[in-house]
Amino acid sequence: MTQVVTVRRRALEASEERAQALRRSFADTGTLVVNIISSPGSGKTTLLEATLRRLTAGHHCAVIEGDVATERDADRIRALGVPAHQILTGGACHLDARQIEAALGAARLLPADILFIENVGNLICPTTYDLGEDFKVALLSVTEGDDKPFKYPAIFARAEVTVISKIDLLPHLPFDLAAVEEQLRSLNPGAAILRTSATTGEGIEGWCELLVKRLAAKRRATGQE
Amino acid sequence: MGIALEIHRVCRDVVRQHGPGRIESVRVAVGELTAVEPELLRFAWEAVVADGPHAGSTLDVVWCPATQLCSQCGDVKDRTAGSWLRICPACGRPLEVTGGDELDVLELRFTPDDDAGGASAVDTQAHDRGDSP
Repeated sequence: MTQVVTVRRRALEASEERAQALRRSFADTGTLVVNIISSPGSGKTTLLEATLRRLTAGHHCAVIEGDVATERDADRIRALGVPAHQILTGGACHLDARQIEAALGAARLLPADILFIENVGNLICPTTYDLGEDFKVALLSVTEGDDKPFKYPAIFARAEVTVISKIDLLPHLPFDLAAVEEQLRSLNPGAAILRTSATTGEGIEGWCELLVKRLAAKRRATGQE
Repeated sequence: MGIALEIHRVCRDVVRQHGPGRIESVRVAVGELTAVEPELLRFAWEAVVADGPHAGSTLDVVWCPATQLCSQCGDVKDRTAGSWLRICPACGRPLEVTGGDELDVLELRFTPDDDAGGASAVDTQAHDRGDSP
């Protein structure tokens, strides 16, 4: 006979519980965790390289890289002397908490002041998965077009910081920066909007200051100042 | 695909609680703001259960449209499909999301292995860990 069972459980409950466990362990170690999300080619790794060059003098940083294939991104980070672990998803378009757990078990990334997680290049699926991070950062490069926030609202509504990257290319592109910033504000009025260029260095200092301030705030909040 | 796997995990857990059996269908709630495409999710489910004991089972999606409430103007009706506004287009006040975030397994129909004929209903809500939205 057919049994009908009323379930009413979150589809992602196991993943969400793992993420909460990670969040507790990151609070214990006072590690700021940043989940970086964008479409492929927005400059996530390049922004990280510029960030690490500036931050590693005073802070222990570590990086988890998520890609479908190749160790390329982790190699770029290791070339800067920063510990990095590459997660190869073998086709999956996002990282999940289980993979972060496994990465932390496989590589000596902690203790670190700041752990950067570079998600798989994708504006949709990574939005749904909590990795135990303190906040999500969305990258939007000016070459992607100025209609993207409203086309992919979930990520821009959930990211506490949106970085508009490759800002040095602005003179060559029909990209309405004011319109983009207005879209971002309507999706997420409290989010920080930064403009950066890893090529010219514009905005990198402000981005690094934001990270250091967030780290200090987390240390205060967890009593590890 | 990842979400279909998670749904599959929840379903296997429920089947385990109720004795071995074969899943016939699963009803899930999918909110408009989750960026999950129902048709793709159904397709992913077919791929997840293919070749296993639950092959041929179906995934029924209950679509939950996004709803947003303004403390001053009430329901925001002139919202563009799929959009996720944080401030009221009429008065500029912050909006509360009251629907569209769902990604839940609602109901499971399955046939126990050692059974034939009839139907019964079981409610597991009492065993829930209270994490439904």
